[in-house]
Amino acid sequence: MKKHLILFFGLVLLLGLYPVANAADPIEIALLYPLSGPLADPGNRAKAACDVAAEIINGTYDLPGIPYAKTQGIPNKGGAKIVLKYYDTQGSPEVGKAETERILQEGKAKLIIGAYQSSVTKPTSFVAERQKFPYLCAESSSAALTERGLKYFFRIAPTDYHDTVMFFKFLDDMKKEGKKVSRIAMVYEKTEFGFHANEEVKKAVGNSKGAYQIVADIPYEFKATDVNAEVLKVKAAQPDVVLHATQFSEMMLFAKAYESLGVKVPANLSFCGGYQNPVFAKELGKTVENYMGSCTFAEDFIAKKAQLKVLNDMFKAKVKSNLDGVAMEALTSVFVAADAFNRAKDLSPDAVRDALATTELQIATLPGKGVKFDESGQNIWIDSTMSQVIGGDYKVVWPAEWATAKTVWPMRP
Amino acid sequence: MDSAIFLQLIISGLLIGFVFSLIAVGLTLIWGVMDILNFAHGDFLMLAMFSSFLMFGHLGFDPLLSLPLVVALLFLVGLLTFRLVIRPVLGYPGLIALLATFGLSIFIRNVVLFILGPNYRVINQSILAGKNFSLLELHFSVAQVVSAVGCMVITYVVYLLIVRTKYGRALRATSLDKDTALLMGINTNRVFAMTFGLGAACVGAAGGLLSNFYPIFPEVGLNFAILSFVIVALGGFGNIGGAFLAGILVGLIENVGGFLIGPELKYTLVFLLYLAVISIRPKGLFGW
Amino acid sequence: MQTTKHFFITLGCVLLAVAVAPLVVANIHFQHLLIMLLLYTTLSQAWNLIGGYAGQVSFGHAVFFGIGAYAAMAPLNQWGLTPWAGMAIGAVISVIVAVVIGVPVFRLKGHYFAISTFAVAEVVKELFSNWKWVDGPIGLDAPVLQEGFYNFMFYKTKMPYLYVTLAFFLVVMVLTFHMERSRMGYYFRAIKQRPEAAQAMGVNISRYKQYAFMMSALFTAICGAFYAMYILHIEPATVLSLDISMKIVLVTALGGAGSLWGPLLGAMILIPLQEYSRIWLGGTGMGIDLIVLGLLIMLICIFEPKGIVGILQRLTRRKG
Repeated sequence: MKKHLILFFGLVLLLGLYPVANAADPIEIALLYPLSGPLADPGNRAKAACDVAAEIINGTYDLPGIPYAKTQGIPNKGGAKIVLKYYDTQGSPEVGKAETERILQEGKAKLIIGAYQSSVTKPTSFVAERQKFPYLCAESSSAALTERGLKYFFRIAPTDYHDTVMFFKFLDDMKKEGKKVSRIAMVYEKTEFGFHANEEVKKAVGNSKGAYQIVADIPYEFKATDVNAEVLKVKAAQPDVVLHATQFSEMMLFAKAYESLGVKVPANLSFCGGYQNPVFAKELGKTVENYMGSCTFAEDFIAKKAQLKVLNDMFKAKVKSNLDGVAMEALTSVFVAADAFNRAKDLSPDAVRDALATTELQIATLPGKGVKFDESGQNIWIDSTMSQVIGGDYKVVWPAEWATAKTVWPMRP
Repeated sequence: MDSAIFLQLIISGLLIGFVFSLIAVGLTLIWGVMDILNFAHGDFLMLAMFSSFLMFGHLGFDPLLSLPLVVALLFLVGLLTFRLVIRPVLGYPGLIALLATFGLSIFIRNVVLFILGPNYRVINQSILAGKNFSLLELHFSVAQVVSAVGCMVITYVVYLLIVRTKYGRALRATSLDKDTALLMGINTNRVFAMTFGLGAACVGAAGGLLSNFYPIFPEVGLNFAILSFVIVALGGFGNIGGAFLAGILVGLIENVGGFLIGPELKYTLVFLLYLAVISIRPKGLFGW
Repeated sequence: MQTTKHFFITLGCVLLAVAVAPLVVANIHFQHLLIMLLLYTTLSQAWNLIGGYAGQVSFGHAVFFGIGAYAAMAPLNQWGLTPWAGMAIGAVISVIVAVVIGVPVFRLKGHYFAISTFAVAEVVKELFSNWKWVDGPIGLDAPVLQEGFYNFMFYKTKMPYLYVTLAFFLVVMVLTFHMERSRMGYYFRAIKQRPEAAQAMGVNISRYKQYAFMMSALFTAICGAFYAMYILHIEPATVLSLDISMKIVLVTALGGAGSLWGPLLGAMILIPLQEYSRIWLGGTGMGIDLIVLGLLIMLICIFEPKGIVGILQRLTRRKG
């Protein structure tokens, strides 16, 4: 009799321990970002944003429109918490590749998120693809990334293609309002990002049947000491609009050079790069008043959706500046991951990949409905909007359903 | 091409060229006297810029006023670097000194990154910030003009120092032949230390002036450093006048050449120029 | 100088260690480390020929590395040519480039030479950045092809890569060993230490500098081709940059330039140092790993300016 009791209690204990031991194992996500080197600033902002997302998912927050906020952890996986492990790419494709291999070797992460720069995302995602491991890209904008026929690669941000389409629709609208828009100058950095943006613009201009012409095509070396030659070339071409595919540090140099060299272009539009960083408007003040750019997040959004204020405050507590589109994309990626984990039948790479492929996540963090990937891995539910620095703040000016202010054109009276 | 634009290009080239010159002068002093390639030169520039920025932010000192302080600070940094990093490796093959300054460069850059973060800073409300003026269709940034003039003046002062003072003579003697200088009673160690300090002070002045209008971030020194190595070689090692003229030349080539041929090639033009000059004059424009 | 017996015993031990280690430590990252170590040793030994033994310090070796890398990758991408052929092509082109650069540049002394090599490398980098056929600054990615020796691609294991780098290492070590003892080696040393005396004795300085440069270029290019096939992504900023040139110089200098085992010793310190400081400290952001790296490099220089070879010499002297 006693023997049976002991056996019985032993079994009960075992049964009791078993689900507790398994279901609540935290789920690890590996994140590749430049945490040191020339792009340490956006890298660390992305890190802060992802940390905010993880806190929300793992904790209990009442935020309408933000899934997984109310619940703790991943509901269908026993409330398992998300754990983020960061790997510094130092902004270098080679280091990024080594770190990716290390992640796959360690075998603990269930998903890779990365890597900010298109030039690092490209080779690192190749590594993941060769080993059949899912890779979620939040913010790299080169359209080529989803044109490679990869099965394990997914991307949330709009591409240079989307941005170009938006830019030209915007310009068409401006034309209807009587503004001169046909002479276009393009300044772009000599990287994957810059070159792709440039190709998209050339294509769009080619298709416009002469409505637009490129009067200056100015590539520049990504680590310049000064940009006078470039800016003077813009001045000499006398464009109506100048398009920029530029990272933050150079954008500062350009903005100052435009001012000090007395260049008055009616409109300055930026692809998703340096313009987005809130520090840009704050630090440069009057110099960049009325600059415009594509954005997937602006402070205005907070005014339209109160739950975003909570996210912004948590982010601000970490990096002392507001969220911007790039950081928001990183933040959203963690939610997409959580959602995939939730729906995946298990946490094997193929199951996670299949869950990602069938994502239909409605989330209020980005313009558009949320996140849904097409067969090439591109998010088709995202919209790009145009923001402008007005009175030192980023205000959305286009399209009409998101606009909170009217476009100021020309930039300088 | 519009003559106003052409003149503007020349002016821009000169303005940035003077800054290049001062940075190169600092480097050529160290290189000429001690035969040491200071890989951390660009990072000294960055330290100067950050010092200026921090003094402005925390103590309210305008960059113009804090300039002497920044120069003094960098002089001390130079002395310290010499004492701790350079002196132990002086007798040994130059490669080791190179390696040491390379390590120093990585160290300084990442310590600053760690303490002050990767953000790009700009000095905004200073006396010179944001002021521009125009003259007959030519546009000038006051800060850039002041920097250029400042660099020119300081270069001249350094030149006078080398040519007119006792220290200067000791320096020239040591760089010509260290052993003979020792025999003549010159304290070569002290000359080396002072020279390193002076070289750092030069780049400190350049940084202090740059901070009036240039963005400040941990990696800012690298681009200037690479260019300054070529400028020094172009002008001739150890030759201040050479470094000065080469700096201006590079500034002009970069701007004018960049405009005419294509801004993406502007640095390539500088390198091609160097190779062209060096094939005609193997010791640089004024080397001896 | 070591005796022949000494050399081959040491070499044999290293070989054994490297061949056995990955079997003991079945960690892919460890294998990656070994591969990088051997690769950089080979690169540094190649540089050592011209920079250490012949005393002509070059800051532009990336040009040969890059040519090798592109020669392997571009024809593979465009025409499906096996990277081994690309490697051979790259080696040949590099040697030619070495001759072309060498003629004007060897007239220069010391620092001017060094900066010139750097200037040449930068110009070449710019050329590649603007060359449409190799996709300019975006660089090239290896296509996803079938595994095997023909394409020199292996996805599931790193061992073939390890054996290839081991072979390179062997060849370059034996070559350097023979060179040290040959007449050419004597000439190199003469050129480095007393070029005027050497010239007075009838040594054709330019020709021997050229030989050293050509051999150096050959091996550097081969390593570049390997790198392209191993990392599977190349761009001007990574294979033609000052970073690569400097890393090679640094490894040699750290170990002891002009010595036979210097490159290996330097690589044994620098490569793991870089990798592990990044692994242990990198993810925290803000470059702590690099702070440590910079500090350690400085400390090694300050306390042992002769390089690691110097430390070993001191230790062996004490024993005797």
